[in-house]
Amino acid sequence: MNTGLEGVFFQNRAALLRFVRARGAADAAEDMLQDLWLRAAAGASGPIADPLAYLYRTANNLMLDRRRSELRRGRREREWADVEGLGSEASDAPSGERMLIARDELRTAQDALSGLGERTETIFRKFRLEGVTQQQIADELGISLSAVEKHLQKAYRALMVLRSQSDADSAGGGVISQRWY
Amino acid sequence: MPDTTSRIQEEAIGWVIRLRNASGREWEEFTLWLEADPRHLQAYEDAALADQDFERLPAGAPASVMVPESEREPRSAGRRAFLGWAVAAALVATIGYVSVRPGESRYAVETGAGERRSVALADGSRIDLNGSTRIVLDRDEVRFARLETGEALFTIVHDDSAPFEVEAGDALIKDMGTIFNVVHAEGAVEIGVAEGEVLFNPEEEAVRLTPGMTLYKREGQFWVLRGEPASVGGWREGRLSYSSASAGRVAADLSRNLGVAVGASPEVARKRFSGVIVLDRDPERLFRRVSALLDVEARRAGDGWMLTETGGTP
Repeated sequence: MNTGLEGVFFQNRAALLRFVRARGAADAAEDMLQDLWLRAAAGASGPIADPLAYLYRTANNLMLDRRRSELRRGRREREWADVEGLGSEASDAPSGERMLIARDELRTAQDALSGLGERTETIFRKFRLEGVTQQQIADELGISLSAVEKHLQKAYRALMVLRSQSDADSAGGGVISQRWY
Repeated sequence: MPDTTSRIQEEAIGWVIRLRNASGREWEEFTLWLEADPRHLQAYEDAALADQDFERLPAGAPASVMVPESEREPRSAGRRAFLGWAVAAALVATIGYVSVRPGESRYAVETGAGERRSVALADGSRIDLNGSTRIVLDRDEVRFARLETGEALFTIVHDDSAPFEVEAGDALIKDMGTIFNVVHAEGAVEIGVAEGEVLFNPEEEAVRLTPGMTLYKREGQFWVLRGEPASVGGWREGRLSYSSASAGRVAADLSRNLGVAVGASPEVARKRFSGVIVLDRDPERLFRRVSALLDVEARRAGDGWMLTETGGTP
């Protein structure tokens, strides 16, 4: 057992419990903390730079996963939306068909992003897909931090619109992403 | 009030952005923000789910540059059958794939121990990364990946004019429209094929691997075993399948999948194992299972686990 992590977990148990409640865990909050510990312990081998942030992040992902599976249960008829076949429900390898659907969704999202202009797209890709920090992007492009944030806000708003549209017309399948645990 | 709604949305997106690199203290501030207004949670979840959706988008250049013309064909169920005979054609038409590019177009995707990640490429292909894995991709050269270390499952959409190439150490793997798994660890490379076909070291040995075949390579030697195609890449579903694998190898796989160190004593590392290990979130339960399957003793060692011989009997 990673004793350092365990110590941080127990010291901050109350704060983490409060966090999962605020994140919508309701009655399941205690169970979520249990899951959090299992997942956090399994995911941590080497030293973790900031154990508390790591625990929060893991808890946040747990809650997102939970929300996603609720959403999925709410629309059984759209099982195919789980196109990537990553879920435990889909044990077989993704078929060519499913990959084509996934590709359509990706293209729609790409188009939406390209429509925002090259600078916004570049900034968003760097930040979100390549893990470059806001500060690094600002330095690299010689613009202010708040300008970077504005571009990111714009990109996120577009993606949210896309997501709500695909939920509404049930053609896009909002679920193009899924985490494992 | 629309003004309030858009303010909340802006704050929610702001949190999604901040939380990517947040300290414990910022997470506490986030808790307070969530508690301040019941609408905040919904707004945050909408933003965070959109953010997660996007994880699957191809990294790199805009779509117009990356999507090959051949991929814009009308799609139908026939496409799948097409993959079959396209394999034969591809074997002939795979010469002249240049792989030297300016360094800056390359970028790495990494996972920590026990973490998994999926990368979607512009052509619809996908790479699933197991824990402790690092791959290098190229923004200009989308049909290329280098597995620097770890394990990845490649689900590749076939393109006659541009076969997908994977580098792992000094092994080169050329895909022919395929699902295949590659492990690169401690100087050894293992390639398993689930679907389609790949060509191993096309310029040298040019070994053709078909579904169910697994090639092991270490220090210039390689050998091929035949198994079940369905077991390839089983780690994604929490199944590790082996056919006469060394227990040392099993330990390394467990370590990568669980994110803890798993060691094996020299005697145990030489043992052979055939069968399937189903992963479990509960490490105690999992190692009880491992201990029974491999007929070894599993005990905790620091943060990780150690496999030794049972009760001193050979």
